[in-house]
Amino acid sequence: MPKVTIDGTVVEVPAGTNLIEAARQAGVAIPYFCYHPYLSIVGQCRICMVEIEGAPRLAIACATPVTDGMVVRSETSARVKEARDAVMEFLLANHPLDCPVCDQAGECLLQDHSFTEGRDTTHMVETRRTFPGLERRLLGPHIVQNQNRCIHCSRCIRFTQEISETAALTYKSRGNHAFIDTFDGQPFTDPFSACTADVCPVGALTIREFRFRKRAWKLRSTPSVCPGCSIGCNLWIDHHERTVYRFTPRENPAVNATWLCDFGRFLAESLNETHCLHPLHRVEGQLHRVSWGEAMRALALDVSAARTLRVVASANLSNETLFLARELFVRHLKGELVVPVHPGEPRRMKNGKGEWLYSRDAHPNSEGARRLGLELVDGERLARFLYGAADLTVILDPTAHPYLSTAEALQLLRVSPTLSLARTNHPTAEVASWLLPVASLASDEGTFTSSGGHVQRFQPAFSPAGEARPAWQILQLLARAMGVSALDLDSPAAVFAAMATKEKGFSGLEWERLGGGSPSTYREHQHVG
Amino acid sequence: MRTVAIHAVPEEQLTHVTFDATMEERISELLTHYPTRRAALLPVLWLCQERYGWIAPGVIEAVAARLGESPAFVQGVVTFYTMFYTSPPARYVLQVCKTLSCAVCGGRELLEHLKARLGIDLGERTQDGTFQLIGVQCLGACGSAPVIQINDDYYENLTIEQLDALVDELSQGKEA
Amino acid sequence: MEPVLLRARGVPNSRHIDTYLAAGGYEGLKKALTMDPEAVTKEVLDSELRGRGGAGFPTGRKWTFVPKEHPGPKYLICNADESEPGTFKDREIIEYDPHLLIEGIAIASYAIRANTAYIYIRGEFVRWARILETAIAEARQRDILGASVMGSNYRLDVWVHRGAGAYICGEETSLIESLEGKRGFPRLKPPFPAVVGVFGKPTVVNNVETLACVPSILTRGAAWFASIGRPRNTGPKLYCVSGHVRRPGVYELPMGVTFREIIEEHCGGIRDGHTLKAFFPGGSSAPVMTPDQIDVKADFDACAEAGSMLGSGGVIVLDDSVDMVEAAANLAHFYAHESCGQCTPCREGSDWAMDILDRILEGHGRPEDPATLLRICQYASQGMTICPLGDAFALPISSIVKKFPYEFERHIAAATPRPPKKLPVLPWAGPRPGFDGQ
Ligand SMILES: Cc1cc2nc3c(=O)[nH]c(=O)nc-3n(C[C@H](O)[C@H](O)[C@H](O)COP(=O)(O)O)c2cc1C
Ligand code: SF4
Ligand code: FES
Ligand code: FES
Repeated sequence: MPKVTIDGTVVEVPAGTNLIEAARQAGVAIPYFCYHPYLSIVGQCRICMVEIEGAPRLAIACATPVTDGMVVRSETSARVKEARDAVMEFLLANHPLDCPVCDQAGECLLQDHSFTEGRDTTHMVETRRTFPGLERRLLGPHIVQNQNRCIHCSRCIRFTQEISETAALTYKSRGNHAFIDTFDGQPFTDPFSACTADVCPVGALTIREFRFRKRAWKLRSTPSVCPGCSIGCNLWIDHHERTVYRFTPRENPAVNATWLCDFGRFLAESLNETHCLHPLHRVEGQLHRVSWGEAMRALALDVSAARTLRVVASANLSNETLFLARELFVRHLKGELVVPVHPGEPRRMKNGKGEWLYSRDAHPNSEGARRLGLELVDGERLARFLYGAADLTVILDPTAHPYLSTAEALQLLRVSPTLSLARTNHPTAEVASWLLPVASLASDEGTFTSSGGHVQRFQPAFSPAGEARPAWQILQLLARAMGVSALDLDSPAAVFAAMATKEKGFSGLEWERLGGGSPSTYREHQHVG
Repeated sequence: MRTVAIHAVPEEQLTHVTFDATMEERISELLTHYPTRRAALLPVLWLCQERYGWIAPGVIEAVAARLGESPAFVQGVVTFYTMFYTSPPARYVLQVCKTLSCAVCGGRELLEHLKARLGIDLGERTQDGTFQLIGVQCLGACGSAPVIQINDDYYENLTIEQLDALVDELSQGKEA
Repeated sequence: MEPVLLRARGVPNSRHIDTYLAAGGYEGLKKALTMDPEAVTKEVLDSELRGRGGAGFPTGRKWTFVPKEHPGPKYLICNADESEPGTFKDREIIEYDPHLLIEGIAIASYAIRANTAYIYIRGEFVRWARILETAIAEARQRDILGASVMGSNYRLDVWVHRGAGAYICGEETSLIESLEGKRGFPRLKPPFPAVVGVFGKPTVVNNVETLACVPSILTRGAAWFASIGRPRNTGPKLYCVSGHVRRPGVYELPMGVTFREIIEEHCGGIRDGHTLKAFFPGGSSAPVMTPDQIDVKADFDACAEAGSMLGSGGVIVLDDSVDMVEAAANLAHFYAHESCGQCTPCREGSDWAMDILDRILEGHGRPEDPATLLRICQYASQGMTICPLGDAFALPISSIVKKFPYEFERHIAAATPRPPKKLPVLPWAGPRPGFDGQ
């Protein structure tokens, strides 16, 4: 592998690596705007200039692959500093400098570099170029455009050409008057449209749903996995004071590179919906608030008393929860358990190698359920399952299948007592005898197995709302109340360890190595790309 | 030389464009010149501009569909080049060279004269739709400055008198 | 010197293939076909022919960069974009002698083993595109082009491809992008077109005049060609003279005549009552030269030594009536209009320089303007940009600022401050009916 010296630090990187990435490894941050690790290299912005020993002219780091013995100067070169200074002055010549009212502030590459560079004057005294009519325009359902701020890096255009393959965005006109637009100004309805705002280094494209809801620097980010489908895109839950503000892509070359589809991304809001905050018990038709202790004591008796026990699990639950459910309800209590799955809208995602991954499965963990040997059923078989008689029905996730909210299902459930975990308002609440508040993905911890077979960890962003508990913990408490000490495992990590020793599908895996990284402030991982 | 007038098809008639047999034949022939379909984009756009007088959004969609490109891509290309009309042009488009050699050799005066005579500014068209005035960059004929291109034809070494005669002739042609 | 490139100018019916054949046309191609492609390249290399498109790169060298063993197709592109201000020579060749160009294209294609050649001609040249199409059809009909070039087993198709109005498409990689059906955005180099060119295949791009030199190199030999001019600056050259001379036009002269000869002898000097103030030796992208440099030889190396460049050989002559600030502003408008807009320094710099120059002309110049212009030019050139358009705008403008500082000073001394810009009245800023006066 070629060895390069960058600002005095020697690094060895694979052949073909460009100088920006090599420098990253050497701990030198070369600024860039148009470069993006998953898009083609165009060398347009010219900020990444570096000095290469022996070359008469400065070179752009993004388009320069390392060669063995190369000696590169970035921060240590006065020429580089001057050149970047000039490029910044050019870029800012027409940039509106409206940072105080720009929602990109705090996560703007231009602002960041301006700050690092520290120059606060310009020679520019002319009237700034503006794009009347394109200053606050809804480009599509999710994207707001302010063309005045555009620095012509073409990342958004390249995204639609190279990644989402709709080629829906283009430059129009040319030179300094070029601007970003769709065909004839039609709505930008690309299914990945919001990624263009991610790749936009400045505030020219921002996400309508997130704009002005929270300053970027207030956010903290927790690694998680998209609950939208079986592809399992890696994401950060960006949150502040126990509210989820958005999902942003978390880099994983094997799954979603640095992309999210609009459908998955905008599920973020749904994590804030928490209607069930306390355990509830139905007595004479009325739901009454009870404590967890009371609930667990009573449920332990009910569950052991049930001669026939049936459990509706869910492919939305983590491997750990499913494992505990299987061990407790099937192995231990000899109940019957099914995992309803229903085909979702077709979804797709492009991985870091440029291959499309497809899914027609609306659940993030069907593959996990399958690998745990659970029975996956469709709506029809779920109906038949509920049609049979049982002393107690346990519903681990009322949103597991749309069938559960049909009048027919409710009628079947009314026949015998039902225990349901619940987070949001759901028709099953009308018939359940017990309702236990469960945490959202943002407050849960565990792993999902993607359709591609990746076991991926998600972490809790904040503690659950009210008295809600994560599903795995509810099962653990129930196991404890019933005296099943083998399942009284006090963390998802412990459950995972148990699972890894028992289950083929998990053997050899280690919790700590399942990716995810550590929770961080948003700043630390921003602009992987 | 008799400059051929442009007949711009109104936009209403170009909302759903289907190429007729002649157009199809010429497009298919053009495609044999290149190893990719995309490469035929400029020639096909030229064909369309000859045929419809300008490149309406509906034409862009038809071209995009024919060549397997996104309409946005095609529109991006159309707007990069200055010679494709994105709105219906007048019958005669007077393209006055503004660049250095022409500017210092009478081009500026010609332009001022045309503006005054036609009562329009750069980028505008006369009310009857006969003339449209645009300033263009060097036409590659600087030795015979000042140079004006009218539709497809070059007029070189023009004096104000010659230009007036030409404009007269063309405006009469309109009646004929 | 008897004309080589313009030999057909003035000959009746000169465009017709029979006229060309009767004058010994296509002999060069016939000869080339009997030789090894490498031998043809060698001949051109020995002639020391340098590209006439602007950069003056040795043509034979460029051809040798095409990987010989490359299995797939290769392409030759004839650059007939002719959009450098002050340049109008290629049109002259096409107008009078299209077959000379086609013969040159055929020989060059043979030398690099290309079976397809494109002539990329600027969109405005409708008439000249048609002339070429007619000539190609004639050549095809005589089996000079097509499946069997002059009876050999070499196949060559030549297609005319019209641009659509973009100076930048004269730059070879932008031309390639444009030919591929895209916006004319120059590509990053390396890779160079000779290795990865149009459709990803090895491609040679040569100017019309360059290719038109090739047939006579074959028929008369490299030594004859190299005997014109001086080493490294050989052959006949078309000089396009425009501006304030008595007889502007295209002149074919041996490479290396002085600008004095061109301007004073051939063009009859400056128009009556005026004197020479400045000239651009090689199109508007070359640094401007002043009357004291009029004895410089009009060849590649001499112009370079004089701090400018021969470029395309477009000599723009300006007399004492010209305000050089206006000239600079005129060019700034050109480059700002023609910058493709990809890279920051050229896109922003050309527009910014234009704004400054316009402001000076409007009477609101500021003392620091010349320095700002120089700074803009410095950082928009010399490798700061993707393609040389950055240099093309920066060099002439900075040279004007440096060589005619007093013209700027004159404007700036007489300047008044710019009146503050009127801000638009916000809709809610006016008097509010119902609230005022109560
Ligand atoms: C901005 C720019 C514009 C150019 N325009 C032309 C042109 O109009 N015609 C041309 O032949 N070469 C032009 N060139 C030069 C070409 O890039 C290329 O060097 C040339 O076609 C090579 O041919 P040659 O080796 O025969 O000179 C231009 C270069 C630049 C940077
Ligand atoms: S230098 Fe100018 S013309 Fe060339 S690529 Fe950059 S922006 Fe485009
Ligand atoms: S990051 Fe290298 S030029 Fe933009
Ligand atoms: S300057 Fe007008 S044609 Fe060149």
